[in-house]
Amino acid sequence: MYHELTVWSRGIIMDKEARDVSSCIAAAARALGFYADNVSDYIDDPDRTNCLVRRYARFGDSPIVDRFVYENPRPDWVVLVEETIVKAVNFLRGTPDGTGILVVNSAREPEYLLKFLPDSMKAKLAKLVVVDAVGLADQRGSSPWMFVRDLGELAYDRMSTEGAEERLAIGMGIAAPLIGALAAAAGVLPLDGVADQVADRDAMFRGAAHHQVIEFARPAPAPAPTS
Amino acid sequence: MSVRGTRIPPHLQLPIAGVTPPPTEKEGQRLFPTGNFRFFRPVYKDKTPPCNNACPTGEQIQKYLDFVKHERYLDGYLTIMEDNPMPSVTGRVCYHPCETACNRAEHDEPIGIRSVERFLGDYGLDLPEEPVKATLPPLNGTTIAIVGSGPAGLAAAYHLRRLGYGSVIFEALDKPGGMLRAGIPHWHLPEEVLDAEIAKLLSLGGIEIRTGTRAGQDISWDELRGYPAAFLALGQDVGKRLPVEGIQSRGVGGGLEFLREAGMGRPVRVGREVLVIGGGNTASDAARSAIRLGGGAATIVSLESEDELLIVAEDLEQAREEGVLFSPGTSLVRVLTQDEHVTGAVLCDARLARGDDGAVRPELIPGTEREVICDTILVAIGQVQQLGWLPDHLSDASGIITADEHGRVEGNILVGGDVMRGPSMVVDALGDGKRAARDIDRLLTAQALTPEPEVTIMPYEGLNSAYFRHAPRIDAPLSPAAERRRSQKVEVTLAYSEEQAVAEADRCMSCGVCNGCDNCYIVCPDVSVLRDARENGHYSIRTTYCKGCLVCVQECPTGCLEKVPEMDFDAPEDVTRMETAFAPYDGAHAEQSAFTRQLIEDTIAEYDAARRQPGPGGGPSPNGHPPNGQAPNGTTQPQNLRNEDHGEVAP
Repeated sequence: MYHELTVWSRGIIMDKEARDVSSCIAAAARALGFYADNVSDYIDDPDRTNCLVRRYARFGDSPIVDRFVYENPRPDWVVLVEETIVKAVNFLRGTPDGTGILVVNSAREPEYLLKFLPDSMKAKLAKLVVVDAVGLADQRGSSPWMFVRDLGELAYDRMSTEGAEERLAIGMGIAAPLIGALAAAAGVLPLDGVADQVADRDAMFRGAAHHQVIEFARPAPAPAPTS
Repeated sequence: MSVRGTRIPPHLQLPIAGVTPPPTEKEGQRLFPTGNFRFFRPVYKDKTPPCNNACPTGEQIQKYLDFVKHERYLDGYLTIMEDNPMPSVTGRVCYHPCETACNRAEHDEPIGIRSVERFLGDYGLDLPEEPVKATLPPLNGTTIAIVGSGPAGLAAAYHLRRLGYGSVIFEALDKPGGMLRAGIPHWHLPEEVLDAEIAKLLSLGGIEIRTGTRAGQDISWDELRGYPAAFLALGQDVGKRLPVEGIQSRGVGGGLEFLREAGMGRPVRVGREVLVIGGGNTASDAARSAIRLGGGAATIVSLESEDELLIVAEDLEQAREEGVLFSPGTSLVRVLTQDEHVTGAVLCDARLARGDDGAVRPELIPGTEREVICDTILVAIGQVQQLGWLPDHLSDASGIITADEHGRVEGNILVGGDVMRGPSMVVDALGDGKRAARDIDRLLTAQALTPEPEVTIMPYEGLNSAYFRHAPRIDAPLSPAAERRRSQKVEVTLAYSEEQAVAEADRCMSCGVCNGCDNCYIVCPDVSVLRDARENGHYSIRTTYCKGCLVCVQECPTGCLEKVPEMDFDAPEDVTRMETAFAPYDGAHAEQSAFTRQLIEDTIAEYDAARRQPGPGGGPSPNGHPPNGQAPNGTTQPQNLRNEDHGEVAP
């Protein structure tokens, strides 16, 4: 058993949310006795506001050998912290066909999001999970995002968090429902075990309970190699 | 779906760690298409400025002010002429709802739109040839009947001509112009200007005015219905009567009738002590004309209190300057006569009370009666129209022709102006004429009449007011009061000079409409605003590169740039999907460094060789990495993956 989680987010303004998702999953897996890794990504210029950034977690029941390959080559779990990433990048690059669990934070209908995926990307999906994490998260001030403003105002954010210490507990805000939806849809890690790593347990369980799933038929297994 | 810039060549689609070159400025936009940074997209969305919305003719005020600002007067004039055929008239007499609505009032003072309009209108009249003429379609042979040559009728004829229709206008008086001539005094709208504007319209061809033809008398309802379509714009030019004792005596007359006689150039007699009964603009015009013609004093006697007067503020001020006296909160009780001639009047205090049914009625205060001496009384308490010649069900008692919400009376007959809406502004009538022409065309071409489309009006709060420094309004110059009270001919309000018109137009904040100020082009940190031409709305956003930082939206002075959620754009061409978040492996970026490229190739070769050679422990390494970082063939020379393509497997 081996899973790779790639969380896509946007530089600075919603970096913390992505960081929380991957680190909670990795911490939960490790606490549950798996081998686990959690890696930040410095390839994408994460000090640039809005730029696409990635956070990686991977875990399995055997030791992880590729300690220094920090991009997940074959992510089967993919989380998009913000919905426009659906149309921004090939976030399923490397995902084996029919295995991908894609979790998107969006208040839109799953069918609308699916419109943006080409067939080649759809073929890689096992499940599309849409969770309105903004609606399910605890509001801090006027917003569940890292800074106490809504997404529209967040768009105008000009500050940098580069090198900042973690100011807030891990697994708050919109990260919690995203973790819940992912854990529930994947069904690999027990929810209670994951919840132990998440600061906002209630929001995590709300995410686990309230999300929409589109399941895709798995392709026929490839014929076994003859040699 | 477009895939930009970041295609990974097949031989590089392998997990490679740590060899991504940094972005470079050179050819940066092609190399590093950052359109996927964006979750809001800047979009140019022009809104309706409040002035345009307030104008009943729908004049594109922001647009012509922008032309004047750039000294493109002909373009400005043609812009007005799209909506309003007589800018020289409205530039003088309009009660300028545009200026009342102007957002600049919240900033400092509203723009002097009317004076700029007058500047353009007079510019147009001075042209040797009417430039609109060249843009007209040939006449299509259909002639429309129009009743009344006032602003509504003339506007309808003009707009019908622009659509290819001819028209015949029936005018009861012996000169065309309707209320423009018979209601508005010459010191407000000089006769020569009105004549020139009407001559301009007639010069377009296809418009015939039959003066001395009164509807219901010289032309019947059935005759009107015989036309393919007709537009009723006969106005309301019959003054209401006041039911008091002595009102029939000589020296008592209607304010409207007095203005009409003066306006038509007929001799009028007015005394030196004039009482004008009424609290509206007609009363003000009558009193001011009486001072000019009689050389005496005029007092406006109104039921309305000082604050309730319906006279437009600037007219009120000018009337006071000219010495018009006011007796607000007063009612005429009785006219005193001697030998059937008025010698005075009994007045008493009064106020307007609102009854239970909402109607306003005067309430006299007993015991306050007093006598005043006067030799002329002009009654200006409202106006109606005689519509006895129409079928009964088409008109009501107040002299209004009833119509549906499109101004349609029946069949192809439409109505507009005062006879539809009651006494109102010249510019209301011009707007009705414009809409009637459009709707007649729709009726004759079997199209549906539709309500006016909803518009989004730009509020002041939507502008970036930091970009507009405070600049005082240039008030239109006035003739000295002493000079103008001596003559009907001296125009009260004077024109802007060219410099003043340009300076005033330059104050326009272009609310909600792109005026090509280049600010977005300048502030964009990523060269993502493209400019084809310095014209309105001719910018575009390079969506493959715009990062959605929204600096342009924040810094747009006019507020025409908006942020729209990127997810709302779901057309295939609106998706810019990249193969990676970063775009390091392809394009000029990869080409620029042979060293980097070689490094990638070598690493792949190393990786590949390790996978197909048994490791020291026997069997391939489970993760595909060479043991101890050493090539499996015992050398440090990496093998190129391309060898495989030629069937040359490494030894």
